[in-house]
Amino acid sequence: MNRPLHGRTRTAAAVVAALALGVLAGCSSSSSTTTAPAASSSAPASSTAAASPASGSSASTVSTSACGTKPGVAATGTPINIGAINTKQPGTDFSDIENMAGAYFACVNANGGINGHPIKFFPETEQTNPSQIAALAKQLVTTDHVVGMMGNSSIIECSVDAAYWKSVGIDVLGAGIDPECYSTPNTASVNMGPRYSSDGAVQYVLAQGANKIAFDQSNVPGTAYIAAGPSAVAKAKGVSIQDFTENVPITSANAIATKLVTAAGPSGAVVLNFTPPEALLILQAAQKLNLEDRVKYWACSTPCNTDFLATSLGPKWNGKLFVNAELTPLDGNTSATAQLFDAILKQYGSDVSGGVGSFSEMGFTIAEIGTHALESITGPYTIASVSAALEGVKDYNTGMLCQGYTYGDYSEHIPNNMDFTVTPDNGKFVQASSGGACTLISASDPQIAAYRAIAGTAPMAS
Amino acid sequence: MPSWAEFQPYIVTGLALGGLYALSGVGLVVLYRATGVLNLAFGAVGAMGAFIAYSMIQAGDPDWVAWITCIVFGGVVTLGYGMLFGPALAGRGPLVQSISTLGLALVLFGVIDLAWPTTGGQSPSISFPTDNGGFSVGQLQVNWTQVIALALGIAITVGTAAFLRFSKLGTAMRAMANDREITATLGVPIRRVEAAAWLGCGLLAGIAGILLADLSALDDTTLTFTVVISSLAAALIGQLRSIPVTFAAAIVIGLVHDLITPITQISNYQDMTPFVLAAIALLVMSRGQVMSRSREEG
Repeated sequence: MNRPLHGRTRTAAAVVAALALGVLAGCSSSSSTTTAPAASSSAPASSTAAASPASGSSASTVSTSACGTKPGVAATGTPINIGAINTKQPGTDFSDIENMAGAYFACVNANGGINGHPIKFFPETEQTNPSQIAALAKQLVTTDHVVGMMGNSSIIECSVDAAYWKSVGIDVLGAGIDPECYSTPNTASVNMGPRYSSDGAVQYVLAQGANKIAFDQSNVPGTAYIAAGPSAVAKAKGVSIQDFTENVPITSANAIATKLVTAAGPSGAVVLNFTPPEALLILQAAQKLNLEDRVKYWACSTPCNTDFLATSLGPKWNGKLFVNAELTPLDGNTSATAQLFDAILKQYGSDVSGGVGSFSEMGFTIAEIGTHALESITGPYTIASVSAALEGVKDYNTGMLCQGYTYGDYSEHIPNNMDFTVTPDNGKFVQASSGGACTLISASDPQIAAYRAIAGTAPMAS
Repeated sequence: MPSWAEFQPYIVTGLALGGLYALSGVGLVVLYRATGVLNLAFGAVGAMGAFIAYSMIQAGDPDWVAWITCIVFGGVVTLGYGMLFGPALAGRGPLVQSISTLGLALVLFGVIDLAWPTTGGQSPSISFPTDNGGFSVGQLQVNWTQVIALALGIAITVGTAAFLRFSKLGTAMRAMANDREITATLGVPIRRVEAAAWLGCGLLAGIAGILLADLSALDDTTLTFTVVISSLAAALIGQLRSIPVTFAAAIVIGLVHDLITPITQISNYQDMTPFVLAAIALLVMSRGQVMSRSREEG
């Protein structure tokens, strides 16, 4: 039916357009909310390349037979049920962590298991739905009868399940994102998380002489908690710091880059805490506007530590951008641990879609510590014995972290609080030549100070 | 409150964004005038085209081939949608017609998420050679991509206005906007005119997509929704009719959006810019209509 576009029709169309604005805005903001918490994650995403600062080198080739105590002998005893929950949704996929942990456990099972017992792994995924996450935790405990949780990494799982894990007595070993992963008694992470990684980045540029900091992160719940760390570190050095937050996804990177450079000033530093895509947007915008040299330094929390970002940025950022690194880089690393990682990934890691990367590295480290804890159990494998074994892990050298790993029986857990710094070098990240070695995160951050007061300072890994 | 000098850099970034919003707004208005359809899939079509271009560049294809593919993709998909669903929806109201394009947007949005997942934290991006060149105006750094964005916005606005006024096809489109039925009885090939409008709108979606992927972000959410929200607001201010007003509104939206950036107290609310400006404009315009009506009645 043909119709004129006059009068009422145009009015109707205007109303539709106005409604559509609202609908689209709703879609936009909902999507932001979904992706935004990941933006504050300090879990990095891709492979890194730097000389290993912490791992020794090994000339011999390590095979998967090194996974267990009885090479080539499959475990046939009663299974030890272990669970994990990872976020897996469009735009945010942490499942490589549990997939790599599963690969490690498969390797253990094929080489004697845990004192002859195979690990039966129950990896679950969630879509940032609190009721779904709570139900998964209960299902794992009551239906699957898991006795431990090893490999958790979720945007909100720690905050949703912390009370439940405490009520059933399960100690969780995972890769943390939200504050509860570091501030509750029943969860410990192998990574530092966004706050302490940002601390490390700020600490590095302060040590290099930056006289002002512009700290920027995504505008999501918990940003005040994260910003409190860098703020305390800078203020302890008498350096002013200005905090910013950005709605994500970022739509006006040019304006943001300009704002940050103006705030930091020519002798200052811009420090970013975003996921790689958002950080890259700001850094590329700065590059397009020739702003990279308008401040003394640029720095990032761990998520920037990806070869993809280094490749995308190009050589202009060599020695200009400094990134906090929480785990030992694997590219070019010939340590026994790195070789075992490669061997397991090759033989058992077909589900690890991202291949070599920080997520798989975290999964490996979690499974490595978990296996070490399980092997120390002499009696039956119960929730109580597994939790006690985890709490007994002390100063364990994973070969992946700067310092020995301690779980302990503490009210909070920040076991990874020593890191190093990398910088781009023609498409790869390499250890920064000045002050890039393993460095303790400053106790000027009151959370770090509180943790060290109860747990002490773990020694550097030898 | 920041000083004038602190505001200056944002004029450049705001004008560039405004140019792209103008280009998009003009595309929406032209299609609406010819077909009565508000194309809410405008951003998603450009987004998917930009992602395809990104993949082609990654695969080693020449950059210019990838850019053209993005633009052609926009034209083909939009034309295909218009030809396939346009006739079936022609008899339905504006609400149904517009929401059906939102359906296309969401389908494309889902396909992008599936085909280009962010697993592993890889960050797709598109850069033009013009990003690395430019000039300075005082303390202001301007790159050629920003100049191109604004220039294209102006050129397409002027070109479209001239096309509608002076060409036979443009005249047919204007006639359809005034009275579709009478236009049809005069022998104007309505389907062909509509096809041209769909194609033009799609090509503009492709251009906006590839440019915004560079100037803003190669991100499906940003490209799918942000562009449409800002462009739709501009088109609304232009009452879905006036191309010059749509252009001016788009430039103002881009400028205001970026000029808010240094005002830290409100910078996190800068995404509200298109809503606020559209609401103010609609209120002022409706007040004007009420006053003129009361004058006529009096």
